[in-house]
Amino acid sequence: MQILLGPQSPVANLRQALETINSAGPVVVITAGWRDSEGEIDELRDSAGCDVKDLMLYQRAEQVFAHEPVLRELQRERQDKLTELQRLYRIRLAPTIAAASKLMRTRAEAELLRLEQRAAIGQLRALDAHHLRRIRGIHQNFNRRRAGLDIPRATAQREQVHELVEKAGLVLIAGGHVAVLLNRIRLFGLDGLLAQKPVIAWSAGAMALSERIVLFHHLAPQGKRDAELLDTGLGIVRQRVLLPHASTRLDWHNLHRMALFSRRFSPAVCCTLDNGSMIQLDNEQVIASNGSFIVSRTGHKKVLTGV
Amino acid sequence: MNPQIENLYSEGTPGAEQVAKFIRDNRFPLVEPGHVTFVFQGQADEVNLRRWISGLSTAQSMQTLAGTDLWALRMELPDKSRFEYKFEIVRNGHRELVVDKLNAVLAHDPFGANSVCQGYGYTRPSWTLPEPETRRGTLTGFQMHSKAFDSRRDIQVFLPARFRRSRSYPLLIVHDGSDYLHYADFKTVLDNLIHRLEIPAMIVALTQSPDRLTEYTGDARHASFIVDELLNQMAARFPLLDNSSARGLMGASLGGVASLHAASNYPNRFGQLLLQSGSFAFSDLGQHQKGPVFDPVVRFVNEYRRNPFALAEKIYLSCGIYESLIYENRSLVPLLQAQGMQVYFEEARDAHNWENWRDRLRTGLSWLFPGPLWMVYE
Repeated sequence: MQILLGPQSPVANLRQALETINSAGPVVVITAGWRDSEGEIDELRDSAGCDVKDLMLYQRAEQVFAHEPVLRELQRERQDKLTELQRLYRIRLAPTIAAASKLMRTRAEAELLRLEQRAAIGQLRALDAHHLRRIRGIHQNFNRRRAGLDIPRATAQREQVHELVEKAGLVLIAGGHVAVLLNRIRLFGLDGLLAQKPVIAWSAGAMALSERIVLFHHLAPQGKRDAELLDTGLGIVRQRVLLPHASTRLDWHNLHRMALFSRRFSPAVCCTLDNGSMIQLDNEQVIASNGSFIVSRTGHKKVLTGV
Repeated sequence: MNPQIENLYSEGTPGAEQVAKFIRDNRFPLVEPGHVTFVFQGQADEVNLRRWISGLSTAQSMQTLAGTDLWALRMELPDKSRFEYKFEIVRNGHRELVVDKLNAVLAHDPFGANSVCQGYGYTRPSWTLPEPETRRGTLTGFQMHSKAFDSRRDIQVFLPARFRRSRSYPLLIVHDGSDYLHYADFKTVLDNLIHRLEIPAMIVALTQSPDRLTEYTGDARHASFIVDELLNQMAARFPLLDNSSARGLMGASLGGVASLHAASNYPNRFGQLLLQSGSFAFSDLGQHQKGPVFDPVVRFVNEYRRNPFALAEKIYLSCGIYESLIYENRSLVPLLQAQGMQVYFEEARDAHNWENWRDRLRTGLSWLFPGPLWMVYE
């Protein structure tokens, strides 16, 4: 079972989620997305109302990189490749999304326009799919090369983390920097283990559980920016694009823009996760939801309801 | 008439006490929507407002307020405008430029201080002021010998908070770097924008020319110094991202010319250019009227206008609409765009000064170097 929450500020609803999931055994948390602030969990413990142990993945990774230069170099090489690939993707994304946006706004004979819009959105989806394939290829290459390395410190740390997660009754995943969070979860090979555990994740933590990491901020300080795919996610939550801070980061007043956003990621459903939101999932089904909306095909907000 | 002054005279000519209360109770200059009124108190034969707004005369005479030692001038001013000024006091044929003693807001530049007029609605951006929760970066530096100039150069280097050698950072090279630090609060701005995740943690090399009127005006030695020497020094000393998208070059006024010139001599070595109020003088016909210092600038800009080409990925240009350079900067925008570069042009109701350049830094830097705010979902 997974419970997905929005940001835990200004009002935390973590305790409510814990009461819902009611699991036995120790509670561990991943706060790697906080980077240098990882482990500062006094407030989180207060919100949870129980003892919580931080897995300290970010700091463990720093130690591993310090002692295993060969892994550090391999990691750096992968990150440089991903960064460069993202730049190249953006070069194609900008005109593709501009064309689709223009078609969403333009007026023409209905049937003529509908097919052109569909084709433009298809091109956008094809580009996104291509980007994800390239990313998967880079990850596979990294994993293959990593498997051949003799890195005892990394192996020892990985075993320690696995032991803690295996003994845990519940795993919490906090928000923060989504790429760092995902990277550290992968570095310690937690993908498979997390799929078998009850998990409560919020904001970037929830995004990391999904199949695709969609970065978005329509109202960024540097002006208009369209959503882009960053990476594959852990794939534990399927067929959903999770949108923390959706009320402040999405351009809800622009229905054309929101409609394109929704249709681009369809058949996955775009679900908002604002402060106070809660989505409870079991076997990929939403069994309960509170304060979360989906972005409809027409760009409108609709309340997300459970089965 | 300004409402506060009208009020001062509501019961006839004010006495010394009423004048003192008027001075005590108001902030100067007196600002209202669409207008500003400057006030000077003192004995003089003549008082002029001196300001440098393109299209207006540089001096406007102020009028005495009857029965007092006050002088005043009311003028139109679009809301949120900002410009610098001084009072010119004439006594016994002697002229003296002074700051407005009734106005505590001053702007500093290498030539001294000016009073600042902030039009109705202008507020200093919060990100230009130290924010208590912001983690601070550090300033360090090194000296290098420049072969191009055959002289020693001091380079200041900004390292972001939590700098780590195990990471790779974007690099920004700044012309007139010390002036940006002193007069545009550049370090505070960098610290705040990095802390707010609006720009990435980056390394900034701050250069300061000993002879900018020569070196920043289209001097090939300078371009070589920046690209062949400084860039290599920075790469050898600091962990930098090795692609042009992660390299930026910036400057204001002649520093903008130096940036564009270096980028044109070494196309695409810098993916990002930030050019503020660039002195991009050119002549379409006949001789320019800007003086001999601008001869090499005009030669360079004329040549680029004749044979334009893409020299970077993205260029942010800003210019104040109260400066004469607005013409040159506006002219450059379509030319740059036509080369396939992404261009962001921002005009401000401001003039040729460091605070104008300071106030534009957020838009410029975050557009050229978008920060991890994009990646962070707390």
